[in-house]
Amino acid sequence: MSDLNNLLPILWGGFCTTLAIFALTLLFSIPLGLLVAVLKMSRYRLVRYPVSFYISVMRGTPLLLQIVAIYFGSYYLSEYAGVDFSFDRFPAVIVAFSINYAAYFAEIFRGGIQSISKGQYEAAYMLGLTRAQTFYRIILPQVVKRVVPASANEVITLVKDTSLAQVIAVTELFALAKKQQAAYASIYPLFVAGVFYYVANLLLSMVFAYVERKLNYYK
Amino acid sequence: MDSAKVLSVVISDESPDSTPILDVKHLKKSFGDLHVLKDISFDLKAGEVLSIIGPSGSGKSTLLRCLTQLETFEAGEVKVDGKDMVIPGSCIGGKIKYAPAKVLRDIRLSTGLVFQNFNLFPHLTVLQNLTIAPIRVLGVAREEARETGRRLLKQMGLEGKEKSYPCELSGGQQQRVSIARALALKPKILFFDEPTSALDPELTGEVLKIIKQLAEDRMTMVIVTHEMAFARDVANKVLFMDQGVVVEQGSPDFVFNQSQNKRLSAFLERFSRT
Repeated sequence: MSDLNNLLPILWGGFCTTLAIFALTLLFSIPLGLLVAVLKMSRYRLVRYPVSFYISVMRGTPLLLQIVAIYFGSYYLSEYAGVDFSFDRFPAVIVAFSINYAAYFAEIFRGGIQSISKGQYEAAYMLGLTRAQTFYRIILPQVVKRVVPASANEVITLVKDTSLAQVIAVTELFALAKKQQAAYASIYPLFVAGVFYYVANLLLSMVFAYVERKLNYYK
Repeated sequence: MDSAKVLSVVISDESPDSTPILDVKHLKKSFGDLHVLKDISFDLKAGEVLSIIGPSGSGKSTLLRCLTQLETFEAGEVKVDGKDMVIPGSCIGGKIKYAPAKVLRDIRLSTGLVFQNFNLFPHLTVLQNLTIAPIRVLGVAREEARETGRRLLKQMGLEGKEKSYPCELSGGQQQRVSIARALALKPKILFFDEPTSALDPELTGEVLKIIKQLAEDRMTMVIVTHEMAFARDVANKVLFMDQGVVVEQGSPDFVFNQSQNKRLSAFLERFSRT
């Protein structure tokens, strides 16, 4: 048990990094996802096609690879272009996670937006609401309700995906747990890390269940 | 008759009563090769009620959607309360040119539409459904909009339902809310697209009663309906459409009792049997 006393503060430090990746990714990927969803529904092919390509690459290649590509790719590219710019490890992770999750969120949001009946737009149009008013006051509030369950899935996956950040040596929870595994010569630290992930997701599930209940005031 | 019409156009500003508030001339609309509306003409004066009847697919709903700008049409002229929806004379040589967006918006705000499926906003309360447009579009003060909303709900027999959500109401109640929502913008003309078709038979009565009440209050209305008795009783004028043309129009007595038109009598015959 003294093992645990030593282990917990170390893993807690890693968990804070994990939480930071998690929170920042949500902060950026949700608005970006909404923007991407709207662009994917654009009537202009010149907008729609590149956006579709972006989504297919993000969903079609491993996030692990995307993290590596952003981190090392930015380094080589800037060298090639002769600019003095490259991502630090942590920002590279945030960028990779944000653009990857934005693609998934975009598809969820698009489904939500397209599931709203045409009648809602027509009623708003007849009442003289502008396009912006229609979107923000009529469509979006209804979309939020519809996308909560699918989004909950993504958010919970994100908690676990943060462990991929170790590929470019960001010391998040799982990376630290692995280090301790070597130090202790036991897989015990990994199990403790597992408990961290599980408890975090248990809390998140409860939050989402609460939100779903709250949004249940209408059908 | 023709000269009287010309005269009324000239003096339109002075005597609004004799000028049609809705004037439709030679309206044509097609979906691809399918001609849905072929040369539709009719007019309506303020305070009058027009019923549009006809078999399914005759173009009634499409006509309503053209007049409320939910669909565009290819030819013809529509004048609502003296405002041209289409730039007059622009029809010559192919496509028509619509009026500027500002004019179209003004026209839209002077025309209300009651949908078959209500299309209430499910995430808003009944009262919010009624006040969102007055507040956001017309800039009416919140309290004033609420006051108007409450008064309209009372008129619709829905007192005490302010805080309900649409899903908590029956179909008939929902349709009455949607009528109130359209009235909240004080439209000059109110269009109804089969307002009782989505309702259980026992609920149609309460909606029809409200529409009759509005007719007694001299609300100008255009009603597409399959309720023949109602179409006859509520209207000053009835339009019978079939396959995209106005086959017969006139007073309810003329259309329902006197007309010798074969398509009309076949249609009415079918209806009286069901």
